[in-house]
Parts: sequence; structure tokens; C-alpha cells
Amino acid sequence: MEHEGLLTKKNKRNVRENITAYAFLSPWIIGFILFSGVPIIASFVLSLTKWDLISAPRFIGLGNFIAMFSAGSDFWNVLKVTLIFTVFSIIATLTWSFFLAMLLNFKLKGIGIFRFFFFVPAVMPSIALAFAFQLLYNKEIGVINYILYLFGINNGPNWLMDNHLVIPSIIFVCLYTYTTGQMMLIFDASLKEVPKELYEACSIDGASYFQKFYYVTLSYISPVILFNLVIATINAFNGSFSIIYPLTFGGPGDASRVISLAIYDSGFKTFRMGYASALATVAFIMVVAIALLQFKLSDKFVYYEN
Amino acid sequence: MKLKLKITNFLQYILLIVVAIIMIFPILWIASSSLKSLIDISAYPPQLIPKEIHFENYVEAFSRGDIFVYLKNTLILIIGCTTGTLISSSIVAYPLARMNFAGKKIMFGLILATMMVPATATIIPQYIMFSKFRWLNSFLPIIVPAFFAFPYNVFLFRQFYRTIPISIDEAALIDGCNRWDIFIKMIVPLSRPTFITIGVLSSVFWWNELFIPLIYIDSDRLKPLTVGALTTFKNLFIQRWDLQMAMCVVMVLPPMILYLFTQKYLAEGIKTTGMKG
Repeated sequence: MEHEGLLTKKNKRNVRENITAYAFLSPWIIGFILFSGVPIIASFVLSLTKWDLISAPRFIGLGNFIAMFSAGSDFWNVLKVTLIFTVFSIIATLTWSFFLAMLLNFKLKGIGIFRFFFFVPAVMPSIALAFAFQLLYNKEIGVINYILYLFGINNGPNWLMDNHLVIPSIIFVCLYTYTTGQMMLIFDASLKEVPKELYEACSIDGASYFQKFYYVTLSYISPVILFNLVIATINAFNGSFSIIYPLTFGGPGDASRVISLAIYDSGFKTFRMGYASALATVAFIMVVAIALLQFKLSDKFVYYEN
Repeated sequence: MKLKLKITNFLQYILLIVVAIIMIFPILWIASSSLKSLIDISAYPPQLIPKEIHFENYVEAFSRGDIFVYLKNTLILIIGCTTGTLISSSIVAYPLARMNFAGKKIMFGLILATMMVPATATIIPQYIMFSKFRWLNSFLPIIVPAFFAFPYNVFLFRQFYRTIPISIDEAALIDGCNRWDIFIKMIVPLSRPTFITIGVLSSVFWWNELFIPLIYIDSDRLKPLTVGALTTFKNLFIQRWDLQMAMCVVMVLPPMILYLFTQKYLAEGIKTTGMKG
């Protein structure tokens, strides 16, 4: 009898604790439903319609997707540019931020000043960065072509106006963005956590610098590499707009038109809400697919302490 | 041996300095160009140190553009969104870090998952929803969602809360305090540095944000600086580099100064993101 009473008392407390917890969570739960859950589902539904926001939306089934994947569609170019930009910007920003973090792990006096300088471009608005690089990349008056001239290359290219050079040029600008700085600080902190004993043990075994780097450093921080890989991926989809839009508006032609710009243009320039939603659906599926792939790969390569 | 070490150190410094110059070069170039005349900006070869100093670029930029209006709008967005996210995210993170309840893993998993949803994937239905609310061309579609907690900030708060000993809550519960009292009277005061960190991160984010205000705000009267800057001092025929660069300095300086004074907090906040667990 007494035992039962205790149980119900405990149960009651559990129920109350659960209700309290969900009361604390309620702002996010409401926000999640309103601003993420419903919009994602609505996006799927809208992608099956034709809607210009003025007349009533019209159900057209898979019409938008059929148009998107038809042979003459400009979507193929968007897909190609998005994939190239995503893959190479991830590789470039990840490598560069890791390189910066390695430099910040030199045992030198005054390293803090360098940390400040390495991170400072990250806090500037991407639009200021875009304007700065429009000037730096300028064919006639830009510094970059002047530097090329000093190395004997006359008539430097028109970086942002060249179909082949525009994507590499944008990726270079990405080395200055917030995400790169963020990844650098995360790498920097994790490199400092690698136990010194591991290096010493390797030295005793006669390991070379590169063996130590590969077997100790890289494997010890592999969870952080995965974490940064995910950050870089999200940013390649999310942050790319604020750098590419002011820098090139997707140009020249469509050469730097990634999927976020295509969604913006079809949604808010030409008001094809259905088609824009279909593009958004594809973008969403791409992010999920890439993230799943990364987590799958991580099972193989990432080393966890426990 | 000692000499070898000295040479290595010297080479390391050289490498650090070269990379530092590469990283701050765009900022240096903005600052230098903002003080040049339009003719000097186009001069060949380009000069890092301006031949003559043209401070009047700043006077002209401020008097010709709507920079003051844009600045005011940016400040409204920063204050609104930062207040909103600090209040809501700090509350939402509490049970995730310090309570046991049914469905905790699922809730936390969902929060992490929403961090990965790109804004462009949900923007169209959100835009339609806010247009139904008649909220377009106002700050509401930007500020109101901040009061419903941003997953990223919830995650940061949670990571910090977990570093506070759990015995504090347990002792207070035995003394008869409820969870809300514990949160307000103990956890919030103990988390002051966290509030500063997330406040700084959020302010820098909204100072820099382009995409969301670009979608929701059309009228010049309501544009923040990033959106306004897109079309200021530039049209199809001419780009006024001198004025544009002065405006860039105005955009770059405040987050730089904020970063200079809160470097510790900012770095701490970003590093915490990568913490295990």
C-alpha cells in the first residue's frame, strides 16, 4: 500500500516535470511549427502548383518538376553551378580554415594578435566584402591584375566577368567569410586539445612529421572535421546568397547562378511561386542528401574517444 | 640546435605576417580607397597609401545617401532580434541542459536538424504566410520569429548551461523552489557571459544580414544598411567607388570595434559550438 502511494507520488512528480519542460520548450515548438515545419510541408504542396500571387494558385501536379528537368531548362545550369560551387567552396574553406588554425598553433609570442587579424574579415558584412572584391578584381584598376603584372602577366583577366573564372573568384572571396573564421576558431581550439603524450609516443616510435600529422592530429580531431564539414555544407547553401548576389548577381549570364539565387529570382523577381517552391524542394533534398552522405562517411573515418 | 629553433621561429613569423596581410588586405583597401578621389582610385598603378586625403568622401556619402535612415533601421533590427532571441533561446535551452523529460532526445535532435534547413528552402511559404498577415514591408517578419528561439542560439545556451554544476538545481528543488525560480534566480545570473556572447554574435549577425531583409522590405524608408547599400552610389552607368568605399568603412567599423572589445566572448562562443556532447 505504502509502496504504491510512493510510486504514484513519483509518477505525479514526473508528469509535472514533463509539463514544466515542455512549457519551457513551447516558444521553440510554436516557432518550429510556424517557421520550419509548416513552411517545409507547404513548400512541397506549393511546388505542385502554378501561382503568381495575384490569381488563385492552380494545381498542376508534377508540372514544375517536369519543366525543371526537361532538356532545354535552365535548371541544368543551376544544378551544375550549385554542385561545382558547393563542392569546391567546401574544400577551399575547410582547407584554408584548417591551415589558419595550424598557423595559430605555432608556439610563438604574440600569437593572439594574429588570431585577431585572421578572424577580423569574418565580422565584416558580406556586402562590404563583395564591394571590396569588385574593386580588387577590376580588370583595369584592380590590385590583383596589378600584382599579376608585377609577375610579368600583362592583360590580367576580367575575373568576375569571365564564365570560367567567376566561380573560382567567388570561392576565393569565401575564404574571408564568417563561416571560414568560425571553422578556424573551432579547429584552433580542437588542435590545442590533442594530448601532447600522443606526439611524444609517436616520436619515440620514430614517426615522421607527416605520419604524426596523419595518425595523431587528423584522427584525433576527426569529429571536429566532420562538424566543420557540416557547417561548411550548410553555409554553401545558405550563406552563398549574401556573397554571390552583391558580387555578381549570378552573372555573367548565368555562370554563377546557384540555386539560392535561382529561388530568389523565380520567387521574388518573376513571382513564379510554384516553380520557386519546386527549386526550394530540390535544394532541401540536396542538403539532406549531402548531410546523410557525410554522416555515413563519418562512420568510416571519424574516430570517437569512447 | 638553438640557432635552428630561432630560424624556425623567424620563418614562422614571416609566414604568419604574410597570411595576416592577405586576410586584412580587403579591409585595408576599403579604408585606403575611401580616402581617395575617384580619379586616384582609377589611377594606375594602384596605390595603397592615398596621395591626397579626401575626408570629404564621408561627408558626401552621408549627405547624398540615406545612410542615416538605413543605420537607424539596422539598429532597430539588431535590438529587436537580439532581445527576442536572448529571451526565448535562454528559456528553451534550460530543460534541454538541466532536466530529464520524455522525448528529450527527439526534441534536441529536431533542434539540431532545423539548424541544417537552409533559409532558402522555407522562404517562399514564409513570405506567403507573412503577406497573409499583412506584415510585408515592415520589421515584423524579421523580428517576431526571433522571439520564438533560433536553434543555433538554443544550442549555444544549452552547451553553456551544461557547464554549471547540476547540484545547484537539485539543492534548490529540495528547498522547494520551482524550475522557473531556479532558471530566473540562479541560472540566468550565472550565465551572464553567455548572454553577452550570444548578444554579440546576434548583433554582428543582424548587422551583416542581407537575405532576409532583402525579401521582406521594399521601401527605402525601412531598408537596413546592407540592403540599402546594394543600390547606393551605383547605377548602370557609373559606380562611385569613392563614396561606396566610405560607406563600406561605415559598415565594417562597428562590428570590428565590437569584436575588438569582446574578442574573448566571441571566440568562446564560437569554440563552444564545436565542443563535444
